[in-house]
Amino acid sequence: MLFNSLSFVVFLVIVLALYYSKLFNWTNKKRMLLLASYLFYAMWNPPLILLLWISTVVDWSAGKRLAIEENQRKRKLWLLLSMSINLGFLAFFKYGDFLLENFVSIANSIGLNFEAKPMGILLPMGISFYTFQTMSYTIDMYHKKTERARTFLDFALYVTFFPQLVAGPIVRAKELITQFYEPKTATTNQFLWGLFLLTLGLFQKVVMADSLLADTSDTVFDSGQLIHGIDAWVGTLAFSGQIFFDFAGYSTCAIGIALMLGIILPDNFRYPYASLGFSDLWKRWHITLSSWLRDYLYIPLGGNRHGITRMYVALMVTMLLGGLWHGAAWTFVVWGGLHGTYLILERLQRKHLPFEITKWNGIFLAFITFSCVNITWTFFRAPDFPKAWNMIKSMFYMQTDGVKILETFDIIKVCTVVGILFLCHWLMRNTSVKEVAQKTSPVFLGIVWAIMIFILCIAQGSGEQFIYFQF
Amino acid sequence: MKLKQSFLIALTLIIIALTSWELYWRSQGKYPNLNDDKALWAMHRANVETASKDDVIIFGSSRAYFDIQIDEWEKATGKKPIQLASPGSSPLPSFHDLVNNTSFNGTVILGVTPGLFFSTTYPGADPWSRIQTKVDHFYNRTYADRSNFWLSIPLQTNLVLMSADEELWSDDIDLKSLLRRVKIGDRTGNPQMPPFYSFGDVRLDRNMSMTKRTVQDTAFANSIIKVWSYLGKSAPPPDKKSTMAFFLEDLKKFKERNGKLILLRCPSSGGNRMGENMVFPRVDFWDDLVEQSDVPSYHFEDYDQLKDLTCPEESHLSKEDAEYFTRELAKIIIEDGIIINSKTK
Repeated sequence: MLFNSLSFVVFLVIVLALYYSKLFNWTNKKRMLLLASYLFYAMWNPPLILLLWISTVVDWSAGKRLAIEENQRKRKLWLLLSMSINLGFLAFFKYGDFLLENFVSIANSIGLNFEAKPMGILLPMGISFYTFQTMSYTIDMYHKKTERARTFLDFALYVTFFPQLVAGPIVRAKELITQFYEPKTATTNQFLWGLFLLTLGLFQKVVMADSLLADTSDTVFDSGQLIHGIDAWVGTLAFSGQIFFDFAGYSTCAIGIALMLGIILPDNFRYPYASLGFSDLWKRWHITLSSWLRDYLYIPLGGNRHGITRMYVALMVTMLLGGLWHGAAWTFVVWGGLHGTYLILERLQRKHLPFEITKWNGIFLAFITFSCVNITWTFFRAPDFPKAWNMIKSMFYMQTDGVKILETFDIIKVCTVVGILFLCHWLMRNTSVKEVAQKTSPVFLGIVWAIMIFILCIAQGSGEQFIYFQF
Repeated sequence: MKLKQSFLIALTLIIIALTSWELYWRSQGKYPNLNDDKALWAMHRANVETASKDDVIIFGSSRAYFDIQIDEWEKATGKKPIQLASPGSSPLPSFHDLVNNTSFNGTVILGVTPGLFFSTTYPGADPWSRIQTKVDHFYNRTYADRSNFWLSIPLQTNLVLMSADEELWSDDIDLKSLLRRVKIGDRTGNPQMPPFYSFGDVRLDRNMSMTKRTVQDTAFANSIIKVWSYLGKSAPPPDKKSTMAFFLEDLKKFKERNGKLILLRCPSSGGNRMGENMVFPRVDFWDDLVEQSDVPSYHFEDYDQLKDLTCPEESHLSKEDAEYFTRELAKIIIEDGIIINSKTK
């Protein structure tokens, strides 16, 4: 079920009514939330709930054993079981065709005449998110960094909690499970703030991403022609804005919906397009994934504990795998590789060419970072390498005979929206929506809220899926 | 934060703003209308799964959609047809789906609009992809898609502001459509399609009828004619060989399981008909199709009671004429013994 759909509006109203009714005690409220979460998922594809159940049961069992088992070998085996099941699901459902395709290419390149039909496996929605979330539980249990979930219900709800089930934020067990132990209700202010965040998130998704930017981005990236440099830049900027509004919109909705239930989810975005460099970017973009990759991949790979070369290798491997996490294609690996390269170059610059960031050079640095991020988005969005390379060539005017495919109004629209987005991020980079709202007069906030709902109502949208659902 | 105060202000303003928006568009002559989208098509496609030998399914383009009025057909034959025609589309993909993915062996009325029937078999081409999208949606729709559609029906049929049609009409009033109307210069130099306004009203049973405005307002009808002219001039040459071969293969399978197919050429008039006669001469296209198909076929020109009907925008009949056309067509087909009136059998 999509947040930007009528079904979800009805679903949420019913869930909230049941949650705040006096019909259930806290345990039954959690049971109701769990059932609602399964229904939320089943409205897309009921049989694939089985994967959620398997993941839940395996990790609950592994966690239970890890809590009492002292034998290090057996502990490792329980951890391996959990990781094999979760990564096995990912490997089969997400990377099955990709692995097969590459195997066929390699076989043919060494002269083995091998052919295989794509398996055409359906990608279960949100599988990358919930497998990473449950794995964090067993890994933390293995390292004794978290306590075992008190009941199976608490754990199942942690895996399946509908606001963040299909596209995060990826929440750690100790951040979420513990919130299920005591009855939770939102205060009036929390509930209304949650509703405001839900409105803001939907506005970002339906109005900004889908209505204002998606068409331009699709026109440019789906074009089979060699396009003009301006069109390539505008298309890339449009995608840059689209993916931010789409994903940040989803996270904002998830945080808002959870808050309406009295549950607090962590921030996932902090104005990333005003980042001063790439270390800063990854502390601001998809924060819960970056911190997951840092804690469960970069640090176990050695982090910065084994010298500079090893650190750069760990950094690059983390970013390459982070790229692959986003999609089963080499273009995503290149996207990750570019980010890895940027991070390494940044560290080299800090070591050999250090300079102080002031308020005067800050915005310039943010703009440079934003521009470099845009180059990486080309690989992220392009359907294949030839298209990505054509885009890069067009963007840097190595392709002077490109076709103009965007009308003047589209260019003005995208530049205005993305320009405002960049400035807003710059102005907001050290604050938050909540802090700004607290300083704003209630009347003005009410007017802004009404404008967002009004534009949402006239935008309507046709229920476009969130981009990150496919990851 | 005084969020209660902000919320009440937002609520008050939004009620005022949405009411004003709704009233404004109603004052401009707009009225609530169902969207003719893939969800509606898929709902009717689902009926094929339980259809019997006595059922009639209509495939084709917008002419078979506008010109066969469901109520009239039901009055004449005793059975409501399943309307699966789709504007701007070739009927080949949907008939292919019927033949290859169902066991239906009743009657199919297949509308032949030459410019679309003989257009192409290339999956990326508009006449093909438009209907294939609907067929795909039928197979891929989730339970959430279905419930979204059902929940949207009362909103679509009662509120003008719910107007985001997937056809992207030039007079839609959703945000994207309003922005699409803004034009600054001509940077691409591409030929621009004239404004294409919605000229039909669809019901939940997929009965499509021409709006009164199209019949009464000649300037409005002319704006639609300009679109036909633009589409006609920009269309690639017909691909008779591939389209015929594709269709005849499916037809053979359909006949083998005792399915009955009727070919139907609905009226067109004015410059549109002249253009069609030039690009798709009857003897080379329709007559050849009929001969190779060897199925009952009805061309409006062959019947005195049908040949003089005039289309207000040169391609589709007005509601009244469509009702007349449906009655007469059903009468002729029944007289020919191709179908029987289930009420009198």
